Order: sequence, then C-alpha cells, then structure tokens
Amino acid sequence: MTQRSRSHDAPPKKTDMAVMLPVKRKAHDPFRLKLTPWHGVFLALVCIFTTSYGYATTAPEVDSIRTVMLRWMPLLLEGFLFNILISILSMAVGTAVGTMLGLAQISLMPPIRHSSWFVTQFFRNAPWLVLLFFAMYLLPFEFTIAGVTIPFPDWIKAIIGLSLPVMANVSEIVRGAVLSLPSGQWEAAESLAYTRRQTLWLIILPQCVKRMLPPWMNLYSILTMATVLASIVGVSEVMTLAGRVLAAEDGRTDLLAPLYSFVLFLFFVYCYPIARWTVYLESKFAVKG
Amino acid sequence: MMNRMIKGVIGAAALGAMAFTASLAQADALDNIKAAGVLKVGVKADYKPYGFLDSSGAIIGLEPDLAQDVADRLGVKVEFVPVVSSNRMQFLEQGKIDLMIATMTDRPDRREVVLIPDPNYYSSGTNVLARKEFGLMTWEDLRGKPVCGIQGAFYNKKTGQEFGADIVAFKGTAEAYAALQQGNCVAFVYDDSALVAKLNEPEFAEYEMPLPTIDDAPWGLAVQKGETAFAEFMSQTVTDWHKTGKILELETKWGVANTPFAKAMHDKYK
Repeated sequence: MTQRSRSHDAPPKKTDMAVMLPVKRKAHDPFRLKLTPWHGVFLALVCIFTTSYGYATTAPEVDSIRTVMLRWMPLLLEGFLFNILISILSMAVGTAVGTMLGLAQISLMPPIRHSSWFVTQFFRNAPWLVLLFFAMYLLPFEFTIAGVTIPFPDWIKAIIGLSLPVMANVSEIVRGAVLSLPSGQWEAAESLAYTRRQTLWLIILPQCVKRMLPPWMNLYSILTMATVLASIVGVSEVMTLAGRVLAAEDGRTDLLAPLYSFVLFLFFVYCYPIARWTVYLESKFAVKG
Repeated sequence: MMNRMIKGVIGAAALGAMAFTASLAQADALDNIKAAGVLKVGVKADYKPYGFLDSSGAIIGLEPDLAQDVADRLGVKVEFVPVVSSNRMQFLEQGKIDLMIATMTDRPDRREVVLIPDPNYYSSGTNVLARKEFGLMTWEDLRGKPVCGIQGAFYNKKTGQEFGADIVAFKGTAEAYAALQQGNCVAFVYDDSALVAKLNEPEFAEYEMPLPTIDDAPWGLAVQKGETAFAEFMSQTVTDWHKTGKILELETKWGVANTPFAKAMHDKYK
C-alpha cells in the first residue's frame, strides 16, 4: 500500500516497468568513425607537414618535394580522371549486361537459367586481375569489320576486363533483390491477371531498384579502387603515371611516400562520399519496425 | 547435375572462341607507314634519360629523339607508344607498333621473335650499387644475399643463377633505391651508366660501385619479323647515326657521359 502511493507521487518516468519507459535511443557506437570535412583538412595538413619535413632534409640543389608534386599534379589528376572514366564505363557495361544476366537467372526456361547461372558463378569467382589479363592479351588490338579497321586500345580492353566481374556481381544483386521480395507480390499480381513480364516490369523491378542501390554503389566503390589494377597491364592511369613520375625524377626515394599518399588521397576523396551516401541510402530504404 | 556440367563445358568453349584472335595479313611495313603518315614507335616511359615523361605527360628522351629522326627520314609523323620490358615484343608482333626502340638488349632468343637490324645503336653493362661498409670485392660475394633488381631486367637472371644472389625485383628504380637504403638488400643490380650518375648524389655518399662491369651488351632496335625492307632501311639509319655522331650528340644532350661503345662505333663508321 505504501509502495503504491509512493509510486503515484513520483514522476511517471521513475516506474520500474520497462514497457512504460520512453524508447531509449541507442548510444552512438564509439567505433563507428564518422568523418566530417574537418578530417579532410586534417589529412591535407598531414600531407603538407610531411612534405615540408621532407623539404628540410633534402639537399638544396634538388627541387623540393612540394615543387615536384606541384609540377606533376596536373598530370596525376589527369590520370585519376582516366581511372574514373574507366570505372564509370565498366560499371555501365557491367550493369547493363549484368541486369540481363540476373533476369536470365530467374528465367522459367531451364537452359537460360542454368547457363546464366554458370556464367555468373564463373566470373564472380574469378580474380579480377586474371580477368583483366584475359581481356588484355586475348582480345585483338584492332578489329577489321568489312574493310574498316576499328582500333581497340588498351583502356577499352581494361573496361571490358573489369566489367566482367561487375557483370557477374550485378547479376547476383538483381537475382537476390528479386528473390527477396515477398512471394505475395507475385501472387497478388497473378490474381490481377498480370502476365509474367508485366509483373516483372511493373511490380517487381520497381521495388527492387531501391534494394539494389546500396549494394550496387558498394560495388562501384570497389570497382573504382580496382581500376589501379590496369597499371599492371600498362594502361596510363594514375598508378602507372606515378611510377613514370618517379622514374622521371631520377628514382628519388624521398618522393615515394608523398607521391603514393597523394594517389591514396585522391581515391579517398572520391570513394568516401560514395560510401557515406550508400550508408545513408541503406538506412533510408531499410524496412522500418 | 550432368546437364549442368555439359553446359559448363559448352560455356567454356564459347569463351575460348571469343578469345580467339585472327591474325592479319601484312603488307610491306614501309608502304603501310607512308600510307598512314604515322610511324608508331614503342619507347620506354619510365627509363630516364632514354625514355621518360615531361611534366605535360609527353614522352621525351634519347630514344624518342632517335625515333623522331626515323620519322623525319620517312617523312611521316611520329607516335610514341609507351612500352615496358614485359610487353614490348608482343606489341611489335601484334603490329601495335611499327618499330621498337626500348632499351632492349640484343640477345639470340629475342632475335628469334623479332627482327633486329645490325649494327646495334647503343650498349650498356651491368653493375651493382652497394654500401661501402659491406666491402663487396667480387660478384661471388653476392651469393645467398638479397639483391634488389628491376622487374623484367635480363641481368636479374644472371646475377641470380651464376652468382647465386637472391633477387628481389621491384617495379621502379625509386622503390629499389629505397629498399637498398632501408637495408632490405645488400646491393642493387642495374645499368652501370645510371648507377654512376647516382653515386654523385649526396644521399649515396656512403655507397660504391666496386665490381667490374659485366655483360657489356649491345642494345637492339627491332621491327616485325619478315620486314626485311624496313630492317634494311633501319640498318642504314643506324649506320648513319654512328657516322654523323648523332648518338654521341644525344648523349650529351640528355646528360649521359659519352659511352665507350658510342665512341667506338663513331670511329668505326667515320
């Protein structure tokens, strides 16, 4: 009795019944690093600091690291743009072919379903570099169709080589997204006399797009970072150029760290916003409740 | 399951067919070059001073200058295609380049693949850069020791097999010099002319080049196998380079001390 009256007097939040408590927000995960523009400034400062340290220790007659970096920066940026171009085009090709392959994987016709399953598994489980070599050395450098010679430069071969694994991964993303929809969607469409194609185009795929977006962007991020593999097969992208810059500067060892840091920085600046955006889209599209 | 496996085999066969490349019938290279108005030359882009980048991204150096001279003689424009040791002969075989001037050492096994016109245009030897305190006396001292090298260089094999060194190969010279300075290897095996230049730098004051130069081997420029007319033209051109002292002149232009080979050839054809 006394206890009861006391609980009446006390403010309502002092109840010991968990269900009466307001929903507590989860504490911010301390291990989840969240970068702000200030971290970018910090990184840039680190770069400048290490550069000036290098400057202080080199002999006066050679160019300072800062001078060297400024001299080559336009060329390196050009090389990086080439990486982005390769990544965008491979993603476009890989997505277009991969979507068709993914839809073929849910085909009702067994031969189509099985062969597309095989192609997907084959390219999804092959190392990217091996596929790149495959495209590089087995495709001709030019095609002659009806007397017209079409050149087929290395970077286009790199795009083909990189779009193969992208294709296979997109195929799996599409298949997974379609299968993740509740079967009620199919049944409801069927009961409304939709054909299979109509169901797919009008009911299923529109719902899949938002489910596919985060993994698709993730794949793009990974692909962008994989474009440096093309340096091994001689495409003049940022990594190849970094190697050539080092050679042009007489193999100066003090340039190694600043030069490769700069390349890292470029990729980070490009890929990190994509990663953040993916996280945002994931939380936006997550099923609530 | 069996069905699936059969499809797998068919799929693999289709891939093989896709990869199949038809070889192209080749007319005389000289006519083709003149008709196209462009001479495509494979040169190094990471080998200062023989072929490297300027800050605009253009390829310059001793060998691009030689290639420019060839194009001028043919009355066509020159186009430089950057090559590395591992792809230069494939590019020539494929026809991606018409001519290769890419610091390639002239060796019998290479002559089986590409056509190397005589005489040779250049030459270099192999030597090592090592820390003075290591006290290197003979090549045999390298036995069982880690030695830095550059990927794709032919002298790695010799240093490894004949002298028993453990070759650690790097992508570029900067990486190799850094590894040497950090003590990852006791010596760096490379072209002697480049190492001599390095010794002048204050950073390398504690280093020496104590061994006799070995493998003083000539460099060959190359054309596609079977292109005898083009090879004949290149023979005359190289002879002319030696006669006029163009090689010596270019060495001076690019800051290389005149090599004994270039001097000897100039005297021979003068």
